[in-house]
Amino acid sequence: MLAYTFKRLLLTLPTLLLVALIVFFMIRLIPGDPAQVLLGEGADQASLAALRESLGLDKSLPRQFLTWAGNALQGDLGRSIVSDEPVIALIIDRFQLTAVVVLVAVALATIIAVTAGLIAAWRRDSGIDVAVVGTASLVMAIPSFWLGLILLLVFGLKLGWLPVVGYVPFSESASEAVFYLVLPILTLTIIESGMLTRMMRSSAIDVLQLEYVTHARAKGLAERTVLARHVFPNAFAPTLTLVGLTLGHLLGGIAVTETVFTLPGLGRLMVDSILARDYPVVQGCLLFTAVIYVLVNLIVDLLYPFFDPRVTAQ
Amino acid sequence: MADARRTFGSRFRRPLIGGAAALLSLCVSLTTFQTGAHAETTLRARLNADILSTEPGDRRDENTDGVLLHVVEGLVASREDGAVGPMLAQSWTVSPDGSTYTFTLRSGVTFHNGAPLTSAEVVWSLERYFRQDSRWRCKLDFSGQGIGNLVSMTAPGPATVVIALDRAAPLLLKILARSDCTGTGIMHPDSVGPDGAFKHPIGTGPFKLGEWRRNQFVDLIRFDKYAPLPGPADGNAGGKAPLVDRVRFLVIPDGSAAVAALLRGSLDVLDNLSPTELGSVRDKTGVRLDIAPTMDFYCLLFQTNDPVTGDERLRRAIALTIDTAGLTNAITWGTSKPNNSPVPATSPFFGSVQSELRKPDIAEAKRLIKESGYDGRPIKIITNRRYPQNFDAAVLVQAMARPAGINLEIDTLDWASQLARYGSGNYQVMAHTFSARMDPSLLFNVLIGDKTRDPRKVWSTEDARAMLQQSMATDDPVARQAAFDALHRAFLEYTPAVVLFNTSRIAAVHDNVKGYRGWAGAQPRLWGVSIN
Repeated sequence: MLAYTFKRLLLTLPTLLLVALIVFFMIRLIPGDPAQVLLGEGADQASLAALRESLGLDKSLPRQFLTWAGNALQGDLGRSIVSDEPVIALIIDRFQLTAVVVLVAVALATIIAVTAGLIAAWRRDSGIDVAVVGTASLVMAIPSFWLGLILLLVFGLKLGWLPVVGYVPFSESASEAVFYLVLPILTLTIIESGMLTRMMRSSAIDVLQLEYVTHARAKGLAERTVLARHVFPNAFAPTLTLVGLTLGHLLGGIAVTETVFTLPGLGRLMVDSILARDYPVVQGCLLFTAVIYVLVNLIVDLLYPFFDPRVTAQ
Repeated sequence: MADARRTFGSRFRRPLIGGAAALLSLCVSLTTFQTGAHAETTLRARLNADILSTEPGDRRDENTDGVLLHVVEGLVASREDGAVGPMLAQSWTVSPDGSTYTFTLRSGVTFHNGAPLTSAEVVWSLERYFRQDSRWRCKLDFSGQGIGNLVSMTAPGPATVVIALDRAAPLLLKILARSDCTGTGIMHPDSVGPDGAFKHPIGTGPFKLGEWRRNQFVDLIRFDKYAPLPGPADGNAGGKAPLVDRVRFLVIPDGSAAVAALLRGSLDVLDNLSPTELGSVRDKTGVRLDIAPTMDFYCLLFQTNDPVTGDERLRRAIALTIDTAGLTNAITWGTSKPNNSPVPATSPFFGSVQSELRKPDIAEAKRLIKESGYDGRPIKIITNRRYPQNFDAAVLVQAMARPAGINLEIDTLDWASQLARYGSGNYQVMAHTFSARMDPSLLFNVLIGDKTRDPRKVWSTEDARAMLQQSMATDDPVARQAAFDALHRAFLEYTPAVVLFNTSRIAAVHDNVKGYRGWAGAQPRLWGVSIN
């Protein structure tokens, strides 16, 4: 297992190098000049040239890349062009919030999906199944910003139960932080539970048709036991893969949800940085996202054998 | 069975008690949250994006200026009519040749750190704005292309500051008062650390900078020793007494979330509201609207070097297809007035010459097109969605030009890309916007200049540059009005751009907020504002 993990980690290095290269050159292919954005429409050519020089943007692209990559290898992702803050500090600060929202939401979505998916598969073609599949399809079709706004209007504005804007960090007040995070977590949970439910139902239907399930039932085991002990572990593996992909995708930023709920997370940082052509922050965020993606998928792969013994960590 | 119940009870008792306690704590917190009892008065206003820095004139944008103008003050400040009034300087004199200004500082003014204001801090601040690596926007104005080269800044006495330029500079005070130059705010040298790095602004404004939690809020704290000028607030000048203990600028990027926050009571002032969002706050109980015309302008820029749009007749033809009044009414939902002049409608120099709108004339447009030899080839009009009014203007102009046989194709870019194209002059037609400037010369200055040295300029003719210099070379209102009239007529004739309208600054304000009023400078002013 250790050798496998080490090998997988080694294999991530070329992936990250490729990501770094693509990110670095792609962002520079987009039209737009960070100096012009920073100085605005009133900037003259001399001021623009001076700012480009101070930011190192007047150097050749390969030289800029080598400088950035060399510093990145030493853990220095540079400083934001816009705010002059260290990129790594910005990312860590913003990621903490995104991680809390995403991890809780995906955990809740997984619990809902496993329960609903198993029940729907168990009662296939019944009213419950139709309701579960219909609801899952509906939430898959709902855009997250729309659902977020609706929840905001209902629970924040109409009922007045929860705050509509702002955020309090856990370090300041855990109870207030919970209030501010309920709606974004609820939004993500609902949105993400749709796909996971469909996947869980689909794989559970396959497993329910296998002989060992019939055998378990023939032994006289209660249906709850059959589902919990025999169906769930074998049906969960594909859903786990999807959970991994979802986690990787969401941990890279939930810009829309963060914007609607005014949360200062990683997604908003990335979008704002792209719009401002803040190259170091965009590069840092995307590299960080790639690392997260690779790590999450590695963890999922390492967890796989626990749910599907046919798969071994080799 | 009894055992099973006992087992169940013992297994779940602890979590149940824990859950009940958590629920109770949640309810207590909710009650606390909802009552929100505060001993101090806090006025909450919305920012649609975070500020870029706390250093006046450095990393800046409109929001940054708006917040920092509550913290720092300059020698002079803009009044609502575009004139300049005293702020830290109680008076000034100008040398007979118009090149040297001698300012006498107001007594009794103290910085936020308790130090008294003297000429030493004024000169220190000005020198900081003029240092080589400074990004202060007005530095460019102190050059041969602007109002004149800076010769010296001296402090002959503790309350006297002298600024000398190499020529007569009637616009010096207006430049010093510009909002986008943070009003040339004066700071105490302790704003900077021993290593020369900026720490935080120690100004003389009605509020001190409190906590800045990036992408969440900026807090300003009432400066108890603030020495307000007598009289009411007038633009950025006049009496600026802080009437609340704290101002909190909340960063709320999403418009719908901001409206929800206002209606819920989590926000007191929702400034810079888009006209399209008016419907969601209009006629709501407890909320009133404040609509103030500003000195910005929305326009179409033409690239006069382009083989197609370089033809003056074609540019005039496009201008003649536009129903400015109808377009303005549709885009701004009736909140703004149409204006074809770079002189804003709220300017004292907006006279009978400027107020006449160009009448749409399709027949004349067709005649000019025929004369120009335009063959119906597509003309790209660049626009963006960051400023929805730019996009809407492009769509309407495209539709209005079609009956005359003009084939405009819309190319929508993100703002950074459009700015780059604007800076390099790489476009044919561009729907663009310029932020408020309090003097018509400064507004004409964004259009007029030497295109070979500065490709963003659209009007490079010798006579335009001469007329602009003329408008900047005198402070006589009659002579300036004549210069602006001449510039306006030449602008309509040459048509390097088509001005469409000046927007209005729209704010939705809670009824419990007293004294809030928008103004032509298009910046929030939270001094003189109280909350019940």
